[in-house]
Formats: sequence, C-alpha cells, structure tokens
Amino acid sequence: MGFGDRGGRGGRGGGRGGFGGDRGGRGGGRGGGRGGFGGDRGGRGGGRGGVAKRGGAGRGGRGGARGGARGGAKVTVEPHRHEGIFVAHGKEDYLLTKNLVPGESVYGEKRISIEGADGAKVEYRVWNPFRSKVAAGVLGGVDNIHIAPGKKVLYLGAASGTTVSHVADIVGPEGLVYAVEFSHRSGRDLINMAKKRTNVIPIIEDARHPHKYRMLVGMVDVIFADVAQPDQSRIIGINAHHFLKNNGHIVISIKANCIDSTVDAATVFAGEIPKLQEQRIKPQEQLTLEPFERDHALVVGKYVRAK
Amino acid sequence: MSSLRNAVHRRNHKERSQPLNRQKYGLLEKKKDYVARARDYHSKQDRLKAMREKAAFRNPDEFYFKMINSKTKEGVHLTERNEKFSHDFLKLLNTQDLNYVTQQRDVGRKRIERMQQGLVLLDDDVHDEFAEEEDEDMMGSSSKTIQKPKNHIVFVDNEEEVKKFDPAKHFDTAPELVHRKFNRPRTSQLKKDLTISHLEKADIKAATKERERSLAELASRMEREETMAKLESEMTLRKNLMLKGRKKKVGVDKDGLAKYKWKADRKK
Repeated sequence: MGFGDRGGRGGRGGGRGGFGGDRGGRGGGRGGGRGGFGGDRGGRGGGRGGVAKRGGAGRGGRGGARGGARGGAKVTVEPHRHEGIFVAHGKEDYLLTKNLVPGESVYGEKRISIEGADGAKVEYRVWNPFRSKVAAGVLGGVDNIHIAPGKKVLYLGAASGTTVSHVADIVGPEGLVYAVEFSHRSGRDLINMAKKRTNVIPIIEDARHPHKYRMLVGMVDVIFADVAQPDQSRIIGINAHHFLKNNGHIVISIKANCIDSTVDAATVFAGEIPKLQEQRIKPQEQLTLEPFERDHALVVGKYVRAK
Repeated sequence: MSSLRNAVHRRNHKERSQPLNRQKYGLLEKKKDYVARARDYHSKQDRLKAMREKAAFRNPDEFYFKMINSKTKEGVHLTERNEKFSHDFLKLLNTQDLNYVTQQRDVGRKRIERMQQGLVLLDDDVHDEFAEEEDEDMMGSSSKTIQKPKNHIVFVDNEEEVKKFDPAKHFDTAPELVHRKFNRPRTSQLKKDLTISHLEKADIKAATKERERSLAELASRMEREETMAKLESEMTLRKNLMLKGRKKKVGVDKDGLAKYKWKADRKK
C-alpha cells in the first residue's frame, strides 16, 4: 500500500456478491495507492455509496490568485502632490483616483475601497502609468499638471476614455472634461464611459477643426493633448485660441516617432518647443516618460494670449 | 417470432485472451493488430529501399551547392546557427512546439504587465535628473545640456534664474523629497499628516517582504520573456526557412546570426 492510507479508493467490487471473491480483494489493495499525492484533495470517490467529500476548505489554486489590493485592502494611502490624486503603498504600490462612480471599473482596472477617518468607505481606482501618459507624467515628477478638482479640461485625443475617466475623477463633480476624439470606434467606448460620468462631454470630431464643436465647449482652464500628429502644435494652438482662457495651461504628450522618426527623440522634443512658442505657448517644463513609455515626452506650458 | 427467439439465444462472442502462462508476451495479437503492424513495417522498409536506391544511383560527378555551403567538424555535421546558442536554449528549441511557446509567452507577458502596474513605479531612484534650460524672451531657447540622461527640463526666463535654481524651492517641497519623483508633497501638505489609512507595523514588514518577493519574481519573468521571445523568433525563422520561397542572407544581427530576406512573391 506504500503511500499511506489517506482517502483510499475503496475496494472496488469488493462486495459484489458471490462470484469473483478473490478479485475483489485485489481491487481494494490497489485502491490504497491513490490519493497519496493529491495533497488535501481527498480520495477520489471515497467508497461507493458514501457521499463523496472533496477537498475540505481549500478553494483550489486559481481562485486564490485574485484579490491583490481589493477587499480589506491593507494599504497606506497618502494624497499626491497634485490634488485629487492619491498614492497607495502596500505590498503593491498604486496611483489612485477617487472613483466618481463607486462600484464600477471603466476598463477592468482594480479598485480599492478604504475606510476614511469618519468611517465612510471611499472607493479608489488604480491608475496604470503604463497605459496613461498623464499618470506616467505624474509619477515621473511633473511639477504641475494643472488638472485639479473643479477645473475645466479640454482633452484632445481621448481615445477610449480610459485616461479621461481618471481625469474626470480628479476634476470631480464641479469640474468638466470635454473629450475630443476623431475615431468612431474608440469614440463609442468614450461615449459609454461618459454615460456614467456626467462631468465628461464626449465630442466625436476632428480636433483640427475646433469650429465644428465650438458650440459645445466653453472656456477651459487647461488643454491636454495626446493627438500624436506631426502638426500637433498647430492643432493645440488653434484649440487654445478658441477655448483656452488667458494664462491657461496646456499639457501635451509628444510621441517622437509621430513627429519625425528619422531623428532621435531629444531632437524632436527640442524642435517642438519653438513651434509651441509660435502658438503663444510659453513652455514651463518638459519631462520624458521613461520607463513607462519609450521616446515620449510631456510638455507643460502656459498660454499667454496677449503680452 | 423465430428471429426474436434466435436473438435471445445468441451468445456474446468472446475473444480469446493471452493465456496466463504466456502473459509475458503482452496482449494476444489479433489479425487486425497484425495488419497494422505489417503495414507500418512495410512502409518503413519501402522508404529505406527508396533511399538506398537513391544513394546507389547517385552521380558522383554531380555538383550540389550544399557541398560548399555545409561543413563538418570532426566528422560531425555542423549547423551554423546552433553554434551560437547555449545548450539550454537548444534543448528548448528542439523539444518545444512553436504554438506552445507563443501561448506561454502571451500568458507571461500579460502577467508581467499586471505585476509591473503595482511594482515598478514607486521606486525612488537617487540620481540627479534635473536640467534647467534658460529661455529668454519666449523665443530663442538656447539649449544648454548639463547632465547625462536628463529627463526633466524646467524652463526659466533668464541665465540668472538658471544659476540660482533650487529644485526644492521650485517644486515647493522638502529638500529630502526632491528625489522622490513619484510624489513630492508641497510644503503646505507636509505641515499636516494627510495620510488616509495607515498600515500596522507588522503589516509593513509583511508588505515589504511580499514586495521583495514580487520584484524578484518580476525580474525572473522578464528574463524568461526575453528567452521566449528569442526562442519564438528562432522557431519561426527555422519554419520559414524550410518553406518554399526565394530568400537570401542580408547581413548578421547583433548575435552574429544570419538575417534573411524573402523575395516578395505573389500568393495565388
């Protein structure tokens, strides 16, 4: 029997009746061997007729993998330098925004709910810097993103609205996000996201033609642009002329490859600065998004309409 | 009626099994087993015969390009690409299936992506990454490169400001937090403790331990991903090389392996 007698298979056919007596005995002997290696899984079948009792309390391998920061999250949460953003430390570290629509994820991101000082639970959503350039910039240490509670933001190149949802979380119910996206396909996701967040106004239009959506957009405090077009500084410029208040700010993500793929990234970034200055945007800082994105930079500037 | 009666009386056909005293020979072979075995044997014999014939009728004066292109080393046929790979890599290459490798790589990549989210970001790395750039008068920013991999440039108005640039003052934070890139709280925030939830001391210890473990796991997963990527591309290349299509070698890659280029053929 070798393996110990945990959860034997039970003498198969042992008591089958008159004939085959000695065969039954053999079956029983073999049964003992099983179940030896199965851990606490319990013997298979555990004797005919009896109730098969499996595995005790163990939930099995797969279920255990879930969890992470969710549920009874053991984390420290501290506010970030930028208002409306939080940082969680625990066995994993996260960038968080307060969920505007508690109980729902937008793109399958993790959520963490934490009990505040007054005992009320607040839900946060994890913001992935590998998927969002704003988040990458925030973790890279940008001085000011100018996106804060109550601000009005014009977001060019909103795509499916994953980052927009976090921006909406930051600006909160008093703020507004005008999200412009040209592609209908990703625009569909954007609209679905905006259904849940009343502070997001989705606009499916070409950002090159701001006059087409001028009726929808009011004056804004800040323009964020992630358009990845060779003429992006012009696009940002005309949008700023239309909608940005004087001394408002712009935050641009520049993808070096999309401007000029023949020269190295640093040259491209340096070349973009004078182009922005032509559009009356005074650059304030520039940050490369390494290690989250390759050859990307975030440029923050101030729009000075009149000298 | 009679047919029904016959059906009831018919006995089950029982096949003879191997007698006990001949048990050592395994299962008793039946005609259909023999046929299968014989077919297999003959097909092998036929193939061998064909090869022998081919060898016998070979024209010793005929020229083959393989005569120049392949070499032997101490009587062993040399495969050029294999020389460049480690033993372990070759073992993987020869035993694994391309589809399986692709699938495992996908699984691994997803896992890495998920782990990276919670791990890589908040590392304080302590090296100076500031570079100030002066730009007088909006126009004409004269770029003055200062340090090695500058990744954060702050634009100021004139040379004077560049000289007296103080990161802590500029970022409005404590000097010791200047290098904490992921979060540099403002001085106003530092005055009050704004932490929302605290970890117990024991939890901190456990979390740190867990973090270290995860970091190690991530590192090894990334290393594995690298190998898998190499393995996948090598397998695909070998598969493509065996297929039809005109190809030629175009230089070598960084490992000294030949790169190939296929002629664009119209697929009908």
